Amino acid sequence: MNLAISVAGVTKTFGSTVAVDNLDLAVPMGALYGFIGPNGAGKTTTLRMIMSILFPDRGELSVLGRPAAIEAKDRIGYLPEERGVYRKMRVGAFLMYMARLKGVKDFSPERVAAWLERLHLPGVQDKKCEELSKGMLQKVQLIAAVLHAPDLLILDEPFSGLDPVNMRLLRELILAEHRRGATIIFSTHVMVHAEEICDHIVMLHQGRKVLDEDLVSVQRRHDPRALIFEPFERGADASALAALDGVDKITRDGGTYRIDLREGADPVRAMRAVAAAVPPSRLEVHRPSLEDIFIGLVT
Amino acid sequence: MSKIFLIARRDFLATVVTKGFIIAIMVPPIIYTAIITVFPRLMNNRVPAVSGRLVVVDQTGQVTAGVRRYLEPQAMAARREATFNRAMESTPMGGAPSGAHGAVAQRAVMGELTAIDITESQAGALEAEKQQLTRDDGVRRLGVLVIYPNAVEPNAEGKFGAYDLYVRRNLDIRIQNEIRNGAADAIVEARVRAAGLDRKRIDALTTVARPTSITVTESGESATRPDFGQLLPMGFALLLMISVMSSGQYLLTTTIEEKSSRTMEVILSAVSPFELLTGKILGQMAVGLTILATYSSIGILSLMSMAMLGLVDPLLLVYLFIFFLITYVTMGSLMAAIGSSVNELREAQSLMTPITLLMMIPWLFWFPISREPNSTFATIVSFIPPMNAFAMLLRLTSTAPPPMWQVWLSIVVGIIAAGCALWFASRIFKIGLLMHGRPPNVATLLKWARQG
Repeated sequence: MNLAISVAGVTKTFGSTVAVDNLDLAVPMGALYGFIGPNGAGKTTTLRMIMSILFPDRGELSVLGRPAAIEAKDRIGYLPEERGVYRKMRVGAFLMYMARLKGVKDFSPERVAAWLERLHLPGVQDKKCEELSKGMLQKVQLIAAVLHAPDLLILDEPFSGLDPVNMRLLRELILAEHRRGATIIFSTHVMVHAEEICDHIVMLHQGRKVLDEDLVSVQRRHDPRALIFEPFERGADASALAALDGVDKITRDGGTYRIDLREGADPVRAMRAVAAAVPPSRLEVHRPSLEDIFIGLVT
Repeated sequence: MSKIFLIARRDFLATVVTKGFIIAIMVPPIIYTAIITVFPRLMNNRVPAVSGRLVVVDQTGQVTAGVRRYLEPQAMAARREATFNRAMESTPMGGAPSGAHGAVAQRAVMGELTAIDITESQAGALEAEKQQLTRDDGVRRLGVLVIYPNAVEPNAEGKFGAYDLYVRRNLDIRIQNEIRNGAADAIVEARVRAAGLDRKRIDALTTVARPTSITVTESGESATRPDFGQLLPMGFALLLMISVMSSGQYLLTTTIEEKSSRTMEVILSAVSPFELLTGKILGQMAVGLTILATYSSIGILSLMSMAMLGLVDPLLLVYLFIFFLITYVTMGSLMAAIGSSVNELREAQSLMTPITLLMMIPWLFWFPISREPNSTFATIVSFIPPMNAFAMLLRLTSTAPPPMWQVWLSIVVGIIAAGCALWFASRIFKIGLLMHGRPPNVATLLKWARQG
């Protein structure tokens, strides 16, 4: 398999703190990876090492077939978590500067304008960066990360600070870049974001990798064998459900019941039986959220 | 390489194409011009009005008339005018200003002239006269001048006496000098007369005109300016100092700005820390060269306007350029390293202290080196970076330039030092760039340099 990123046995410590502990990772070309984990899990440190901004104490790294990203920086787009711009520089000049730093020789002002248009920032190229709002600047920085059509796109917490409209815009942009063929890694501590777009999840906790799997199989493997049930008539007595075949126990949370099934029980048969016993307004197989999985893994 | 150039170009333009820079680069020449043109004029400004009573107790009876003559308003005016003209000739612009401007300056220097009222008194009344000096009863008393009985003719042992001068509190020192000069002049005149000689003839015999020497250069002859030999090294050292310190300061502030605005990591996604450091150093080097070129041109133009260009060897400008590069890379690297390791300008101050001291030390050496450009001390300092550039420039521009091997050795030592500083800085830079939080001290910086 052609790997965009391979990390083997990488460790990074800051003083006495182990930020990343013996991490192995293999990201294939064209994949869309989500790095998730709480604050301080080591996501940013890992991404910075992949970017050759930090260097590991131990272990091997290879990015786009090179021993260090430093040799392939022009093919990588990076949106750091700590984002900044030259405050006195004009937006258009800043983007042109970034494009040229990324090795695009003939980047034209028209292309800058087109990018700004695409991210709903028409006509801001003549404004100084300091005149833009935080959300607008974040989009400008995102453009700076993708304008050279990178083969590898690394986004550190790209969703933080965006409103729902811009979040959707960003999601569409990430998916479009994915369709273009770029390998994408993004980190987030908000697991819902990863669930929405990733096809592969890497979960970090206290510097260690606790999960590295594609999203569907993660969810299947961590199937809690439970149903979510709401009775059609509010306040209907659902205690009879506990006696059904294959049901382990039921727990009530407001108007919603969680029905845990015994090991080996067939969820389809159990659903039929539940529906027959008490008419449901809602009855579904419980899909584990990444949050549930994460909490299950680390506790 | 092209990325380094891009960074250098951006840093250069972002620094130079600002109102602040244009003002900053223009202020020092304006101040300097103001100092050399206005200051000598202010020096003698407003001689206080000389008015009041001087009591002379003349125990020879032959001196009072001379004192009175010396302190007459017309005589004082003539002497002041002569002093004024001498002062004007010693300014770099040369010569007394002419026209209306000159008249104004002259009036300012001369001050108001009021006659000193001279009264005579007796030795017996001395104590009473001294008492009067502490009192103000409508008549302003300046002092009491007591001429010794043997001031004009020697006493039994063949000794000449002089005079005592009692003055009131806070009497201007220039007036005291006038009175003392007057007393001395009058006593000499009385002695000459008593000896039966002709004062005018003695004056004529003891006075020799003192013409200035004439410097001969390829481009012609011009009157030697005794101060030029000192001004030239000073000018070169100042140029080096100003250009290194301003561009170094810009390097420090732009690095801190990039770090505190978190632009650093965005840039680092496109270039390596070393490329960034090199680009920034080159960019601010161009700023320093702009400053250097601007001031050098101003200097050359003003020398040309005074027809003194021939006095400066063009090779000196080449050395200035070389020593600027060496000193700038050495100091600039250290300042970039400091900039990368702190979060804001305030935190940089404590780390900057040793750097500032390094830049100030050469000024302590200025006097000994310019007095004796080839002393052992001057030679040793010429090989100790980063002072070597200052020492060498002072020696090169002095009247006794050092041998060529010393110049080249100093340049080689400087280049090695610049390389070491750059190496040291690049290691700190790499680590410091992404460090936030508590600012490091010097020990931490050294640790980073070892780890880097």
